[in-house]
Amino acid sequence: MPFKIYKKYVMLLAFTAPALIFYAIFLLIPTISGMYYSFTDWNGLNPNYSFLGLGNFVEALKEDPDFLNSLWFTLKYVLVMIVLQNVLALVLAVLIESRMRSKGFFRTIFFMPNMISTIISAFMWTFVFSSVLPQIAEKTAIAFLGQSWLGDPKVSFFSIIIVSLWNGVGYMMIIYLAALQGVPQSLKEAAIIDGANAFQTLRSVTLPMITHAITICFFLTLNGAFKVYEVVYGLTGGGPGRSTQVITMNIYEEAFSNNFRYGYASAKSVILFAIVLIFTLIQLRVMKKKEVEA
Amino acid sequence: MRLKKANSLLITLLLCAGAIVSFFPIYMAVINSFKTQGEMFASFTALPTKLHFENYSQAFIQTHLLNSALNSTIISFVGIGGIVICSALAGYKLSRTRGKMSSAIFFLFVASMLVPFHSIMIPLTRMAKDLSVQGSTYGLALIYIGLGVNMAIFLYHGFVKSIPRELEESAQMDGCNEFQTFFRIIFPLLLPITVTIAILDFLWIWNDFLLPLLMLTDVNHYTLILSTNMLFGEYNKDWSLILAALVLTSIPVILIYAFFQKFIMEGIAEGAVKG
Repeated sequence: MPFKIYKKYVMLLAFTAPALIFYAIFLLIPTISGMYYSFTDWNGLNPNYSFLGLGNFVEALKEDPDFLNSLWFTLKYVLVMIVLQNVLALVLAVLIESRMRSKGFFRTIFFMPNMISTIISAFMWTFVFSSVLPQIAEKTAIAFLGQSWLGDPKVSFFSIIIVSLWNGVGYMMIIYLAALQGVPQSLKEAAIIDGANAFQTLRSVTLPMITHAITICFFLTLNGAFKVYEVVYGLTGGGPGRSTQVITMNIYEEAFSNNFRYGYASAKSVILFAIVLIFTLIQLRVMKKKEVEA
Repeated sequence: MRLKKANSLLITLLLCAGAIVSFFPIYMAVINSFKTQGEMFASFTALPTKLHFENYSQAFIQTHLLNSALNSTIISFVGIGGIVICSALAGYKLSRTRGKMSSAIFFLFVASMLVPFHSIMIPLTRMAKDLSVQGSTYGLALIYIGLGVNMAIFLYHGFVKSIPRELEESAQMDGCNEFQTFFRIIFPLLLPITVTIAILDFLWIWNDFLLPLLMLTDVNHYTLILSTNMLFGEYNKDWSLILAALVLTSIPVILIYAFFQKFIMEGIAEGAVKG
């Protein structure tokens, strides 16, 4: 029988080889070599470079205010996005789910922005923020619309959030809608017969039934939000100054447009990876517990 | 009963208000793309008095639209084709084979889904340079295969479980070898999940910005998104031209959306449940 076992492995390798080759070259090896570079002072060109140990990491986390600011800005962004994106998507999904006739129409409208490339969305909104809203403010005397949407760091944080939500809510909404459709109608009816109002039914019946969707949407938002780049690039370019710079932008700048510090930028990438990993693991742990309770 | 009706009306109004806000930027982009600069400064919200198609012809030329759309199409199709074939093969076999090696390979793919693209973009650029695939349309498509197989394998792996083993066994009785069995019997049965993967990957690759920005150096190889980005940089405040380009760039995905709406929605839901 050893021939059969041998054949099993040959077949396994034959079927997985095409995928493994592409995967190894463009994902696995870059991941590993990026980690390796992160311990060096390599500039990307010079064949001679030296080992710094943890030097890059210490520098990034202790002596690099720009990096720390971008890290802090990204964390704020992630937190706000997780809350707002999921609340908004869930509210939309619940409202749409209750419409019998117009369900398809609203689903289509709210999902449409998701189809448009993030960078194109950001350009469209730049037009709205920089030209349309100020003009409306002038004509209608609603001063609020005329504020510096992209020029004032405090306001542009919210402009970035608005565009990100516009772009991303539809996706989460679809997942929530699919989950809501899986909740048996009889359960909701039973709750209503027992005297629960719409809100109580939602809280005690519907939400516990869709915890898996909440877990997934939190996970997707968390992962996506840490990688934010295009929206900020298109809207503010990280400015004014570096006030709206996100981590990914900081890494890009370090490696490609600043000093070509490949090694140092790689260390920052590893820090990003570690943060995403830690947050994801914590989130999945916490949510899994909730799922078991429900 | 009355209260219920009032509630229902309120919900409809809320949703309509949301829909208007959601549609507002697209509407603004479309109506203003037909105006001259002067008309815009008079009023952004008014409808255009006359349709100025010059903006579109100008944007069409400036973005090298036909050429960049062709590049985007090649990259998407080669990328998706590669992802589908490689992942279907691997996902199927990994799902059917038991044992430590099979689990290890599967784990390797799945775990890599957590690696953020930005964490590998620097060494990836290096790798592309070393293999001289940087700057080439097909080279970029190959990179998408490498980055896309993990998610697709995961989806195929889950889907294969729903296909009865008896089908393969009878095919092999009839004298098919493993590859014949796969391509003749299994692959056609994977169609629903293949459609899902193709759509999700199409939206990703077609709309992607950063990877083409890093990989493509020659304007002739630019994707549609890159060409539009370049235009935005060059004609920063010439909104009539830029808006026309933004609308042109979005038309293909909106058309795809119109045709495949049902599949896209199902695909997202499916991808999420499995993911």
